[in-house]
Formats: sequence, structure tokens, C-alpha cells
Amino acid sequence: MGFMMEGRPEQVRTHYNYLEKIYKKPEDFEIIGKGYTRIDAADKVTGRAKYTDDIYLPGMLYAKFKRSPYAHAKILNIDISKAQALPGVKYVLLGKEFPNAGLGTYAELDTAMASEDFADKKPLCVDKVCFIGDEVACVAALDEATADLAVDLIEVEYEPLEPVFDPHEALKPGAPLIHSNNVSTRNVVVEGDVEKAFAEADYTYSGHYTTHPIYHCALEPHACVASWEEDELKIWLSSQCFFVARHWIAENLGLPVEKVRMMKPYVGGGFGGKVDTYPNEMCAGMLSMKTGRPVKLVLSREESFFATKVRHPFDFDLKYAFNKDGKIIANRTRSVSNGGAYGGSGLATAFLSNMFATLPYEIDNVDMECIRATTNLPGGGAMRGYSSAQVHFAHELQMDAIAAKLNIDPIELRKINAIHTGYVGPMGLKIDSCAFTETMEKTAAELKYEELKDTLPEGCGVGIGSSGFCSGESHPQLDEPAYNTVNILVRLHHEGYATIYSGVNEIGQGSRTVVSAIVAEELGLSMDQIRYIDSDSTTGFWDSGAFGSRCTLFAGNAARRAAGNAKYKLFEFYEKQWNCDIEDLMMKGGRIYRKSNPEIGLSFGEAVFRCEQEQVALQIFGEGTFAHDDTENFYSQNHGNQNPAYSFSTCGAKVNVDEETGLVDIEDFIFSHDCGMPLNLRAVEGQIEGSAQLSVGYVFYEEPKYDKNGKLMNPSFRDYRFPTALDMPDKLTSYFVCEKDPHGPYGAKEAGEGSTGPIGPALTSAVNNATGLHFTDLPLTPEKIWRAIKERDAGRKKDTEKETKE
Amino acid sequence: MQNISFTLNGDHVEATVKDNCSMLDFLRRDMGLTGTKKGCGEGECGACTIMMNGDPVNACLMLAAEADGQDIVTIEGIKLGATLHPVQQKFIEKWGLQCGFCTPGMIISAVSLLKENPHPTEHEIRDAIAGNLCRCTGYVKIVEAISAAADVLQEEV
Repeated sequence: MGFMMEGRPEQVRTHYNYLEKIYKKPEDFEIIGKGYTRIDAADKVTGRAKYTDDIYLPGMLYAKFKRSPYAHAKILNIDISKAQALPGVKYVLLGKEFPNAGLGTYAELDTAMASEDFADKKPLCVDKVCFIGDEVACVAALDEATADLAVDLIEVEYEPLEPVFDPHEALKPGAPLIHSNNVSTRNVVVEGDVEKAFAEADYTYSGHYTTHPIYHCALEPHACVASWEEDELKIWLSSQCFFVARHWIAENLGLPVEKVRMMKPYVGGGFGGKVDTYPNEMCAGMLSMKTGRPVKLVLSREESFFATKVRHPFDFDLKYAFNKDGKIIANRTRSVSNGGAYGGSGLATAFLSNMFATLPYEIDNVDMECIRATTNLPGGGAMRGYSSAQVHFAHELQMDAIAAKLNIDPIELRKINAIHTGYVGPMGLKIDSCAFTETMEKTAAELKYEELKDTLPEGCGVGIGSSGFCSGESHPQLDEPAYNTVNILVRLHHEGYATIYSGVNEIGQGSRTVVSAIVAEELGLSMDQIRYIDSDSTTGFWDSGAFGSRCTLFAGNAARRAAGNAKYKLFEFYEKQWNCDIEDLMMKGGRIYRKSNPEIGLSFGEAVFRCEQEQVALQIFGEGTFAHDDTENFYSQNHGNQNPAYSFSTCGAKVNVDEETGLVDIEDFIFSHDCGMPLNLRAVEGQIEGSAQLSVGYVFYEEPKYDKNGKLMNPSFRDYRFPTALDMPDKLTSYFVCEKDPHGPYGAKEAGEGSTGPIGPALTSAVNNATGLHFTDLPLTPEKIWRAIKERDAGRKKDTEKETKE
Repeated sequence: MQNISFTLNGDHVEATVKDNCSMLDFLRRDMGLTGTKKGCGEGECGACTIMMNGDPVNACLMLAAEADGQDIVTIEGIKLGATLHPVQQKFIEKWGLQCGFCTPGMIISAVSLLKENPHPTEHEIRDAIAGNLCRCTGYVKIVEAISAAADVLQEEV
């Protein structure tokens, strides 16, 4: 296993350069930046949009899991005889029936992310269970009630093992071993001369910061429908990575990959929680093969909590070396993350947390070590702003502390250290566009930060936070060629429309819409003249998934190239017909014409028809692909330019803290984002507003509670509360302070994930400013704030008494 | 088993339902109306909101048998003939949706609100959809869409 790209030939990198001269220029834009609506909106407001659970197939069975009640135990025996005997039960599936390849997200990832346990989770546990909820058996029955009854009739004999829940305990010698080693992944980055920097620095500052886990809470629970038909296994899946899921389903079911066909239903949100492959799709698939009938498996809301993934909790020990002018010269970080029971997408957290720590400040000397520990809690995985929300929480509060120590304005300190365009970071990240300083200036001005930070009465406060994020994360190795590409095909029709064939993973973020808008723009068509075929894995093209903020940049570029390629073919024909230069041709307003003489032109449909007729009915297709070429050695050397582009943002908040209750009211919320060129303002605003909801929940509302046995005690929206419309601030304003990126389509960068980075520290900083306290640990529950205020007041009272005595 | 007869999106329906069958399962499985979503099945998320006699209710907390004699409207019955309801139209125009899973319930709550209160304040809109959870939008554009729909409905009066 493992497909290693040894660099790409130069002609691949430059393959599409010839299209530059025919791409639309901003002055000719009709759609990009002009506002358009989502292509799926009508389906979604009428209830016509079909999600996985909306699929009902004739003869369909329903599947349910038998799960472990122990956090750590050996399986001694499983007796399924009573369950099998229950009328209506069609199959009881056990782990030993699988080839046992295991569930991975990334395959061998060389040293930077290597783990013996990269595919440590099996479709069903065979020898041991590693968290409460681990899947042990799966039942298919005529209806859900029968499946539930059968699950209760399965008798599993366990030998409980000592569990370990704390990551620091798990890493100690002699701790109970969960897999072969409790170090899931370890990533070390040493660049520059840290020793020298610390020796020469005017000051150093150490801070300890902790963050807690949260759940993704996509409104659509994880769901799968599998049906063995036409000699292939069709899988409808609520997934962010259909093509990666296909790979692992084939491996675990012992099928050649071409016999697994991933259908693409609507997906009701992901936020990283549907990046992984889960036992759900493995078991539904296997049960359909065993029974010859379609099988539906939908997790209950309770299961969608404890049997999925969390945002990794982190402990950070940061030590900065800096000079009295505010320049930070070195960063030494030791961090430990609780990775829970299994790897999957979680394996990336150690290296990502180190990578994000090199943004958004120029700190050239770094010595960072991150360990992701394995424990007996539900696993950590990818989550919106993967690792960046945690990292920026720690580093931003560290910046606040240093600003206070040096008595420098917090914005000024950040400006002194800010990354600018042209910077190459210590890990090799190349920043080709950066309006970070401008985001700080805009946020500070709109919030009136300078005016308010020292003048508000106690209980009121302002805070800011900043971050940098990747735009277009790549993973270069899997058992598929060119794993980090997006491929799109565009066909022109003489009836006057174009069809897009794309495998882009739409999960609600609007990737299908942005692809359609770009193709329409290049071809001079309206959005109505675009047909979008959301290709399944058999009819469509490889796309590694919706993660790492890659859809707009990767798919957007691929779409522009595909449309450009089709357009070029048409232009080659008409430059001869009209005896003009190819650069004199334009597609706009449903026509193709000469710019120098717009009278000479044809409607889109007629132009396509004539071209086809003259060339013996040659149909016009355009192909486009996009890959990021700088990643070849990133994972093996822990150094390189992992992403094509990077986004930057600054959030500011004004809060009122109720000292009697510890509740925080967000009075003003300002967000400035450098997302490159925003292709559609409302789409980008929507991403930021969604990030705000998730992050307000992260800071103030959400916290999983596990009992002493490792059982999640609040797996419901009642007990795990995330912000409602009433909880969110009324005033939430986004600004776009953008520098076009040379690698993005029309200069666009990401908007949806980086925006989770600066909100946590901004809100925490505002609470610190309001209370005079120094919170460095999430979440800021009302109880925690209230207790800290009581302690503060008690301390003040003592001080007053002391002064009085003196 | 119980025999029920009721109005569903304007049509008369007669059916025999199990005593313990929820209205949500009945609508989705037996009536084929999958626009009403199951986000939790516990009355917490609001994705299954339907209208009973003009009021929003969680279909997951209601038995199918309770529909007997009632007037039920689901997301599939919100359109005004062939045209979209102004609330639906404004959700499209204002980008009041992303993944769309909460959208049907959200729209039912909004339509119910505007029937009761044609001139809601922003706070009243937020209050009316506080039982409909959304993880994508931060609610900003949903509130905007409902407010814009109220303006359209007012003009029509």
C-alpha cells in the first residue's frame, strides 16, 4: 500500500498556462462577485432534496449496532444465537466476517504522521473494545424495532481491562496499552536556532493553555444505505469524502474498488465529522451482500454523539522568547492532545497543530513537539478549522499576555510580528497573498478597540484574536493515483447550455454552486444554462473530499480550466472562421463574439452547433484538473509548502459579563477576513456566520461530560446545548479585506474554516478585559466565570483589609 | 392499530396506523413525505417541525394517531399552488440555508410565525425559530430571510 509521487514533470505544472489569455477578466464578469443564488436552494426549501435517510428502497432492511458498555475490555465470547432466532432478523454480523483491513482515512503517511495504527479501527471489534460505544456486532432486520430487540439479545462476554482516559496518564510508562503504543502520532518541528534565540532574547514568557473537546453536531445524523445490485455495491452515504470512503469500503469488504459505487445524496452538514469512514458503511455494505437486500443504517442522535469523533482537546505549554521592541524571536511548544481510542482523520492533528502555529506571525526559530495520545474515550478527528482553533486560542492569548508584560498595545504587538506577502515560514509555507495586517486594522477600527479597551466599566470588555489557515490542504498518498486532485469535465451543447460532470463533495458549503458559477462565467452563460451532474464514483471523477478548505480553490480552479479548455476549442474554430486573434474573442451574455467588433458573433448554441457541424459532429468537451504540486516531500520531511494559499483573519468582540450569573452577552462581533477575492459575498458571509455559531458554542456553551467509566453523559441536544437563534449575538458583521491570491480561481481563497480560528481567543480576551481575570482554559462556562469572579472579589476584599490594617 | 382520517397538505387521507407509530415516521415512511427531517427524534432540534391547524409542532413527539381529524401541513404543502411561498423565495434569495437539513422545519416555523404575527421584530423572529437548531448558518441569513418575507407578505395584503 502507498503510492508515492516523486515530483511532477514540469509540463503537468504548466499544462493549463495556455488558457490564461482567454480567461475572463474582472471587467467582463457577469456572475463572479455579482451575486447569484445556490443551485440547490429550490430543492432544499421545498423538501425535495433527498438525503441518505430519505432513500427508501423496496425490500429494504434496517441495521443496528451492538456496542460495548466498557471503555476497555477483552471480548471473550459473543453469543448471537438468540438474536438470530428472533423472527424478522435477517442477519447478525460479526467482525470476523470482514477481511479486517481496518478503517483509515489516510494511508501510509511517512514519518510526519506515521502510526502503526493508522487503520486501527476495525469495522467490528474482534478481540477487544476500546471505548464505550465501540461496535461489536450489527443486526439487519425487517424494521428498526426488531433490530433493536435483536441487539439486546446478543450476549457478549467481556474481561474488563484497566482503562485510561487522561492523555498524560496514557503516555506514562506502565499505562494500560490500548493498541501497540499509546503514542498515536508525534510530530516534531525544529527550525532555526532556538537555543541561541532564547539565550539572546530580552525576555521570555511561558503560558499554559487548555482546550476541551466538542462535537460536530451536523443536523443530519450519520447515515448509510447500501444495496448490492447489478453486480456492484451501491452506497449512499452522508460523507465529506466519497472517494476515500469507497477505497476503504472496498478494502474492508474484500471487493475490487470498481465494484463499489458511491452514490451522492445531499449531505446535511459535516464540519469534519464526516471526513472519516465509519463502521456504519462497512456493516451496511456487508449486510446487503450477505442478505441480497438493501440495508439502511442511520445513527440515532445519541450515537451521532458518542460513536463519532470530537474536536481534539489540547494542552499547550508555550514559551516565547522576545525582545523589548515586541519582536518575537522563538517559540518553544510542547503540546499533548487526547486522541481517544482510534486514529483515522485524527492522525493529522499533531502535524497540523505544529503547522498552524507557524501562522500568522513571523517566528523563525521554532522547537515544537506535539503528541497525540491514545486513550479510551471516543476518538478525536477532523473538525472545522482542524487544530487551528486550538492552536490559535493558545497563541493569541499568549500574545495578549506578552503585550501586557511589555505594555505594548495588543494590536501593535501583532503588527510587529505579522506575516506579509512573500514570507516563507519556518516549515516552508509560502505566503503569496496576505492582508493580515489590514484585517487587524479593519477589526480594530470597526470595534473601536483602541478607544474601548481601557475605558469600559468593569463587566464590559473588548478583545481581539487573529489566525491564519490553509486554503486547499492536500494529502499526497493513498492507493489511488493523484490523490490530491480535483477533476472536472464540461460539455457544451448546441441546444444552448453546458453540463458539468464533477465529483466535488457538496456538504452544504456550496461547492456545486461555486463550480457552476465559474463555468457559467467563463462560458458567458447564465446559471440557468448550466446543468450540474453530481457524479457518482462510477460516472464521475476523483475528488479527495471536502476538507482542509480545498473546494473553492481546487474545484474552482479545475472548473475554470475545464470551462477554459472547452472555450479554447470553440475559440480555435472561430479565430479561423472570423480570421481574428484568439484574444479578440469573448463569451458573454449568451454569445460568442469579437471584442473589436461585437456585431460579428453568434449565440452560444448556434456557435456550438456550427462548430460541431463543420467538424463532423465533434462534441465539445473541456477537461480541467487541479493539483497542488509543492507537497511531494511535505509528509516525509515535515517541510514544504503544504497548501497553495493561506487565509488570514481577525475577530473582535465586545462583551458584557453578568457578574451575578457568569453569563456573557456578546454586544458586538466584528470579523475581518482575507479570503482573497470573494466570489459571492453572501456565501462567504454565511461561512463566517456559521463559524461564529460554532465558535460561540465552543467557548461558552458546549462541553461533553464523561463519567468515571468513560461514558458520555450528555449525548443529546437537550444536555449538550449549542447556540440557538436567541443565543447568538444580534450584531455580527463581516468585512472582507482581501488580497487576491495568485493560486486561487480569480484570486479566491478559503472562507469557511480559518474563520473558526480567531473567534475563541477574541471572545476569551474580551471576557478577560471585562473581568480583569486571565482565563486560559476553555470552555468559559457561566459557572467557571462566576467562580473566578467570586475568587477575584474575595482576593480584593482581603487586599482592602490588608491595606486598612497597614 | 387505529384508523385515522385527516387533511394532509390539502388532501383528505385515511389510514390505519400502529398505536406507537410517530407522526414523523408515518409521514416519511408511509406517506413518502421525506421533506420533514429526523435530526434527533427527541423534540430538541426542530428539523421535523410540521404545522397542525396552523401551529408548529414536532412530528417526532406526536403520534400518527393524534393526526385524526386535524389539518396537517408539511414542507411539501407550503407552496402556494405552483409558486413558492414568499418565505421559501426569500430563503433562496438571502442564502438562508446551507446544508438544508434544518430548512424545512425552519420554514414551517417561519410561516407559522408570520400567520400569527405579520410584523415580527427581529427578537420575535429569533424567538420563533429558537426551537429549530442550525449548525451551518449562524441564523443571520435565516432571520434576514424571514424578515424580508414578512415585508413581501405585507405588500401583498
